[in-house]
Amino acid sequence: MVVTGDYSAAYGALICDVDVVAAYPITPQTFIVEDFSEFVADGLTDAEFVKVESEHSAMSACIAAQAAGARTFTATASQGLALMHEMLFVAAALHLPIVMPVVNRTLAAPIGIWCEYNDTMPERDTGWLQVYCETNQEVLDMVIQSYKIGEHRDVMLPVMPSMDAFILSHTVEPVHAPSTDEVADFLPRYQPQAILDTSNPMTIGSFAPPEYIQEIRYQSEVTMQKAREVIQQVNDDFAQTFGRDYHGLIEEYRTDDADVVLITMGTVTGTAREVVDDMRREGKKVGLVKLRFFRPFPLQELRRVAENVEAMGVYDRAMSFGSGGPAFIETRHALYGLDIPVVNFLAGLGGRDVVKEDVRLMFEKTLKAAKEGRAENETVWIGTRGVKP
Amino acid sequence: MAAQTYALAAVMEDNYAVSFPFFGAERRGAPVMAFTRVDKDVIRIKTQIYEPDYVVVLDETLLETVDVLKGLKEDGMVVINTARRPDEVQLSREVNCATVDATSISLELLGRPITNTSMLGALARATGEVSMESIERAIMEKFGGKLGTEAGEKNARAARKAYQDLQVGMCRGGKDFVPRKEWLPTVQEMPLGGSIGALETEAGLVGIGSFVRNKTGDWRTFIPHVDHDKCIGCRMCWFYCPEGCITMEDQKAVIDFDYCKGCGICAQECPVDAISMERERR
Repeated sequence: MVVTGDYSAAYGALICDVDVVAAYPITPQTFIVEDFSEFVADGLTDAEFVKVESEHSAMSACIAAQAAGARTFTATASQGLALMHEMLFVAAALHLPIVMPVVNRTLAAPIGIWCEYNDTMPERDTGWLQVYCETNQEVLDMVIQSYKIGEHRDVMLPVMPSMDAFILSHTVEPVHAPSTDEVADFLPRYQPQAILDTSNPMTIGSFAPPEYIQEIRYQSEVTMQKAREVIQQVNDDFAQTFGRDYHGLIEEYRTDDADVVLITMGTVTGTAREVVDDMRREGKKVGLVKLRFFRPFPLQELRRVAENVEAMGVYDRAMSFGSGGPAFIETRHALYGLDIPVVNFLAGLGGRDVVKEDVRLMFEKTLKAAKEGRAENETVWIGTRGVKP
Repeated sequence: MAAQTYALAAVMEDNYAVSFPFFGAERRGAPVMAFTRVDKDVIRIKTQIYEPDYVVVLDETLLETVDVLKGLKEDGMVVINTARRPDEVQLSREVNCATVDATSISLELLGRPITNTSMLGALARATGEVSMESIERAIMEKFGGKLGTEAGEKNARAARKAYQDLQVGMCRGGKDFVPRKEWLPTVQEMPLGGSIGALETEAGLVGIGSFVRNKTGDWRTFIPHVDHDKCIGCRMCWFYCPEGCITMEDQKAVIDFDYCKGCGICAQECPVDAISMERERR
């Protein structure tokens, strides 16, 4: 098929045979909801489509459905995700493996509909797994993998595969879709660990004084850590079954003998691959790391890469004001004790196009930092009028 | 939709293709762009296209305000929806140019001035990169699927007609464009948080009151005509006009053509059929 990222997400839910969808439309996620409701109307699925009055309600309905044993799906973006915020903690702490594609869109003010990661980044501490996609194929494949990872007995956590507003959500490109049967073989029926059942009543998410909560928090950390292995297993199984390998928490591109590497997320990765090839042809030893999972964060993987390079650049499409870009902050945490310069690049905020020249500048600044053994500026804003990069 | 359909047709011929839109204001009639890349190999780059091989112009009024050839490769081609011949079109430079009156074709075959599918046929002929048969198949899949077989076939016929009617030649060059001035403030110049009142900039007035100068009536394809003998002054058109550009004078509807976008809602709502929509002649 030649389809949008939004369609890929909706189609992923269809072939994963989800039982319940509760969602509220918001640009640029709207097509996910529309496309799935068409599947329901056309009789392609017997999933229950719950129309709700807000994203807060959407997530609440998903939590209830998942707790009742249903495989559940929703999707949102930007302000919608922010409105869901408090319920995201509930879904994760109750270990309900809901899958929710998020279309990364700038969070107001000012109002914009284009790509920025300031919507998903604030949700990194909710206990959801987060994975950032580069292509529509990856969006579809990660919906399937998200269910398999999230529903794994050792994980039981919700997953947020995300895609860049418009650059994927509204872009068509060829996507291969496995059949429902093929997916059914790969992804067994959801086996809930606790079910809300009137004949067998139980209580979930009830009041807990300090004597109990800390143990429950520790469980969240254990399952999130466990997800590292499961992500790799599922990736490898998927690659074997469907022939597409995303390499797990990160993907390395031409890093083998690289002097410097740049860490990118989302669609900028595709453009950066072109730049790496261009610069390699010029004899510059540059490589690329695609940061796929942000939760759990690939601490060991990035450290391993860093041990063999002279400097690292980290691209961020969001800023944690007063500190740094989220990917940069976490990368430096992963690299603690290693003596190499790390440079943070901010670009493409509010959906500004990140072009090859921007990425080349990131590589050149990182090469310069490698040569000098230190970064002239640790935080570099690229393409900001009135600010020297 | 048309850009996506072109990508689909290209993929049907064993290419890889990527297509995406860029919206400005989210409203009907506002200028939009769409980009399509076609290659034999997988396309990894995710940026907009700055140096196209082909430029397709669906709305000829843009030729007056935008240098549509900006970035177009030397041997590139511009394909324009216009009733004029290529050599009657003057642009910033002399380049390969193909023209077709897609608006008339669409009005004749679809009953609406939606020209995107017609222009697909024109593009197929102009470029020779994708066959007309694949365009028709892609239209049937894309439009036939959503709008029904009949609508799909009508659109495919419109594309075929544009394919046949296309005139290929060279446009004339030498048209001077005063580049549209944009307000692009630096961090230092930007009002805190982007909160502005009425601000005079190099691009004119920005913020409060800017629409007094920014006439949006030139987006119109159809123009409403009010027959004052029939108008009963009921104000239904005034009530429904989404642009708020109808006023009542002596109990008769009067339309402000500086802002009327020709949506036709007034004509639709008028209980005595006093308003008719006519093709805009510029």
